[in-house]
Amino acid sequence: MAETSAISEDFLRQLTAVGEVDILVGVPTFNNRDTIERVLSAVQVGLTKYFHRERCVLINPDGGSTDGTPDIFKNASVEDFGMLLTSNPLRTFHRVSAPYHGIPGKETALRTLFTAADLLRAKACAIFSPDSLSITPEWVDSLIRPVYREEYDFVAPVYQRQKFDGLLARGLISPVVASLYGRRVHEPVGSELGLSGRLACHFLESNVWEEDLTTFGLEIWMTTTAIVNQFRLGESFLGPKIHAAKQFGQDVAGTVRQVVGALFRCLDLHQDFWKRREGASEALPLFGFEYKVALEPLRIGKKGVLDTFRSQVEQLVPILESILTPQTLLHLRNVAQLADRDFHYPDELWVKTIYEFAAAHHRSVINRDHLLQALPPLYRGWVGSFILENQKTDAARMDQRIEALGQEFDRWKSYLTDRWEAGTGGER
Amino acid sequence: MAGDGLWYKDAVIYELHVRGFYDSDGNGAGEFRGLTLKLDYLSDLGVNALWLLPFYPSPLRDDGYDISDYTNIHPAYGTLDDFRMFLDESHRRGIRVITELVLNHTSDQHPWFQQARSSRENPRRDWYVWSDSVERYKQARIIFTDTELSNWAWDPVSKSYYWHRFFSHQPDLNFDNPAVREAAWEVMKFWFEMGVDGLRLDAVPYLVEREGTSCENLPETHDVLKYLRRRADETFSEKMFLAEANQWPRDVRQYFGDGDECHMAFHFPLMPRMFMAIRLEDRKPIVDIFQQTPEIPATCQWGIFLRNHDELTLEMVTDEERDYMYDEFARDTRAKLNLGIRRRLAPLMEGDRRRVELMNGLLMSMPGTPILYYGDEIGMGDNIYLGDRNGVRTPMQWNGGWNAGFSNADPEQLYSPIISNPVYGYQAVNVESQRRYDHSLLSWTKRLIRLRKSSRVFSRGTMEILKPQNHRVLAYIREFGNERVLVVSNLSSQAQAAELDLKRWKGSIPIEMFGGNLFPPIGDLPYLLTLGPYQFYWFRLRRL
Amino acid sequence: MKNLVLQSLNQTLGRFYSMLEQFLPHLLAMLIIVLAGWLVAIILKIIARRLFALARVNVLSEGSGITQILKKADLPPPLDLLTRLVFWVVWIAFILVGLDTLGIPELHLQISRLFLFLPQIFVALIVLFIGLLAANFFSRAALLAAVNANLPSARLVSGFVRFIIVLLTIAMALEQLALAQRTVLITFTIAFGAIMLSLAIAFGIGGRVVAQQMLERVFPSGEAQKQREEKEKAEEIPPL
Repeated sequence: MAETSAISEDFLRQLTAVGEVDILVGVPTFNNRDTIERVLSAVQVGLTKYFHRERCVLINPDGGSTDGTPDIFKNASVEDFGMLLTSNPLRTFHRVSAPYHGIPGKETALRTLFTAADLLRAKACAIFSPDSLSITPEWVDSLIRPVYREEYDFVAPVYQRQKFDGLLARGLISPVVASLYGRRVHEPVGSELGLSGRLACHFLESNVWEEDLTTFGLEIWMTTTAIVNQFRLGESFLGPKIHAAKQFGQDVAGTVRQVVGALFRCLDLHQDFWKRREGASEALPLFGFEYKVALEPLRIGKKGVLDTFRSQVEQLVPILESILTPQTLLHLRNVAQLADRDFHYPDELWVKTIYEFAAAHHRSVINRDHLLQALPPLYRGWVGSFILENQKTDAARMDQRIEALGQEFDRWKSYLTDRWEAGTGGER
Repeated sequence: MAGDGLWYKDAVIYELHVRGFYDSDGNGAGEFRGLTLKLDYLSDLGVNALWLLPFYPSPLRDDGYDISDYTNIHPAYGTLDDFRMFLDESHRRGIRVITELVLNHTSDQHPWFQQARSSRENPRRDWYVWSDSVERYKQARIIFTDTELSNWAWDPVSKSYYWHRFFSHQPDLNFDNPAVREAAWEVMKFWFEMGVDGLRLDAVPYLVEREGTSCENLPETHDVLKYLRRRADETFSEKMFLAEANQWPRDVRQYFGDGDECHMAFHFPLMPRMFMAIRLEDRKPIVDIFQQTPEIPATCQWGIFLRNHDELTLEMVTDEERDYMYDEFARDTRAKLNLGIRRRLAPLMEGDRRRVELMNGLLMSMPGTPILYYGDEIGMGDNIYLGDRNGVRTPMQWNGGWNAGFSNADPEQLYSPIISNPVYGYQAVNVESQRRYDHSLLSWTKRLIRLRKSSRVFSRGTMEILKPQNHRVLAYIREFGNERVLVVSNLSSQAQAAELDLKRWKGSIPIEMFGGNLFPPIGDLPYLLTLGPYQFYWFRLRRL
Repeated sequence: MKNLVLQSLNQTLGRFYSMLEQFLPHLLAMLIIVLAGWLVAIILKIIARRLFALARVNVLSEGSGITQILKKADLPPPLDLLTRLVFWVVWIAFILVGLDTLGIPELHLQISRLFLFLPQIFVALIVLFIGLLAANFFSRAALLAAVNANLPSARLVSGFVRFIIVLLTIAMALEQLALAQRTVLITFTIAFGAIMLSLAIAFGIGGRVVAQQMLERVFPSGEAQKQREEKEKAEEIPPL
């Protein structure tokens, strides 16, 4: 049922013509006119350069763009990059355009891609975000080679980050995944990834598609599902990740809500796994040549951030009361009382906040969406504190700092397990 | 045999080495008398032209390409009378004869060179290219990189350097000298008068040298060829020049001139790409090379081939393509030689009859005159343990008896051991056994050749490549006058379906040419064909 | 005379006895019914507790926020509340049925009126219950939305939402009971009008600044533009 509904007849026809492939690359788009061309050329040059012998297909699931993105896709051709290549590709290069209807979202796009991977019996797949400004042809190699040649099933990206970039991923998602699932994935919400055909089929067969996992949720779900089902995970260094301008306008609260919500859902789904799992977390094997370039620091306005945090915590007290334990709430309120110069949101409190939120989410103490909405103000407070604390920290020390935070998450794992059971125990 | 003088366009050429075909006198090597005895076999096969590898007197340091007398026959192959008899017998069977002519160089044993080197004042001195230093023509590449370090060789007799593009025992003739051109024409005239129908001109790009150039494809070289052609046209009719220029199609194109230079030229880059396409299971390499192939004058024709007496040359491919070919077709590194792979068709196709058939089917249906290499019609194997290219020049396998029916000599006496492994050995692969069965490769090849010759659409028609979405399927339309043939080939090892856009021929009925069966008429919808592994169809599109 | 007295005494006594004779079985029956009702109620209560536990009523109520309301009202947790409700409803019904067996006409009339009125009470209670739930849910949603939108008085907004919904609910519940319909309507109108008026006044006096800000946002002056940009920059740390 899943296969037929995700695929239009025209798409199927195109797939039939493509036949069996070795490598499938997907670039899901939705109104990405400004950036898609760059991404497509990088991907095509990468495939030609590194996989010129393999049978490759490039698929573009488009969520009904109105700005001509699909046309750009259709008209781009490898021959345009003759200057970049020492030779022509040996094989026909397939480009398949797959418009889908309905709500534009990663869910349908990925499902389309996985279905294609299944039908075409692709050995390795890679997915690229249509708005990476810093993409290079080497990314194609970095994500696909471990899968295609080394038999890895899942290759997460490692980006070089500006030190305060991506704090939600680095200060919350990644450490929680590491502590509970036991694998240190740097970018569990990365927008690029490589995966094996058999993992794609595994994803396709799961029933997650009926659930409502949003844009960012799928990546977390894929990462954690791959871990839980004992697939081989690796990481590849890609270089700096520069977001397209469009992402800047994105609403932080909404993103936090979606991502953390998805993480909590996964914790629910996989509770049997992570509750039983023991021992320290392992790093993933890292592929790719690591290099550093100087990144332009992000401009951060701190004015008013702390004041906002203070007032928001006070106003949210009635809601936080039902989510957090009295001790944690008290601690939090004390932190909110601190003067600007002393302001510090301790790691332990941050970890407990997250774990208590997770447990409360599991037990549905209040409406789950309300629960998630109460988190962004606290996230902002933590970010504010983190930035104040690390203003002068250099990049190397920053890694250590993040690692220390991760250890804190490890240390309190049993705390989460206790809180998790607390709710279900009270019933009897 | 008469007609418009374009016999070479409709020909199916069979390339063979006199030495390796049939030994009638039991000395261990074939000769013209033996070859004459086997003309019935060739006639039965259906070929209508023979291309003979060099048979001139020669020290045989380069398999006869080092000629020491242009107007005679090497004693091992017989006499001029034997040759005349062979020519007559061939012509009687409607088979034309193409011989080799190596104009670029002679053997260092040739009397011309002996005279030229004898003293700097000798009148023949200027027939070759001499220099006191090695600094001249520095931009010319060295072709036999495995053996030669320079294009100049020191002559201790006359104490100067002489120019050679190939082996150092093959000094290049100086075609700037009108006397040399005249001598070359005399040689041509000699053979044409005897009855030879065509000449394969070996190594033509290198005839003339000029400072500051690569000394290949020079305009002066073309002038030489045009001169020879003019002389030939003035004196004879229906004679043919076949240029050997291992170059890109756009460079080879110049050897056709405006129809006033060579009649035919080999299409070298096509051959490796056919092998590549079937290995990649993708039509792209073939389509690409046809797109890069320029139009040629109406009286001219490409010579196309799958295998020949040389290695499968990979000069006209990119580095990536060459690496790919080596990895796929020469896993045993012994099979590599220079820039190529020294193997026969059947082993390259891993003995897969379907693939051999597909490759022959492509060859016979593509624009150009097909050239078969002896032994490939029965799927002969090779012996990569022999040196140089001798592995693909082993004796023809006539039957499962003594010396494969090739010779009555002692096996030790043979010029080359016969293939005797269990797969391709003469007891398994030979003419006699295949002649008995209708489904043998030999019988099938006969039918293929007959079909090819049944219509001029294959030899003279235009080619239009169709682009069905399935890139594993190569499809093209050949068209000549009112005749149209649709060729659809599955390059893949698995069954494939293809939808062909044949709207322009709506209403026509495809008739499958091998069996003569009617297929459903062409309508408005894309024409759907399913093809088994490596299967191909030839359809005559008949309008009713 | 004496006979007459004796006779009437006798008669009275006889009547009393006969009345007693008539009434006692009824009383006994009533007592038996009440006792049986008590037993049935206890059994039902036990069954109900099991059923509710199976239906995970506690979890559900915690999720929907009922537990919190009950806690605030110093009421027992929902599972207890529901089982107690079952117990009392069943037992009171039995008691009423028992009383009816006494055959007292006045009582009979009152009881039947009570039974007629019972559905209305029940519906009113449900309306009240749902209303309180909705008030809780929407006030929380409003609070979160306001906090995330960084509005200055989020608690006020949330309280206001709760107040309006509770008010509406009470009005609807009373309406359902068909009690003092006029009074309810008038009270509600007055309360609503008062709020709107106070809002209007408050906005008029206090909203000048807000109005100014809004105008500036639409037609930005250089200074305001800069501030705004700075503020947006502050949001620019991409979380992912």
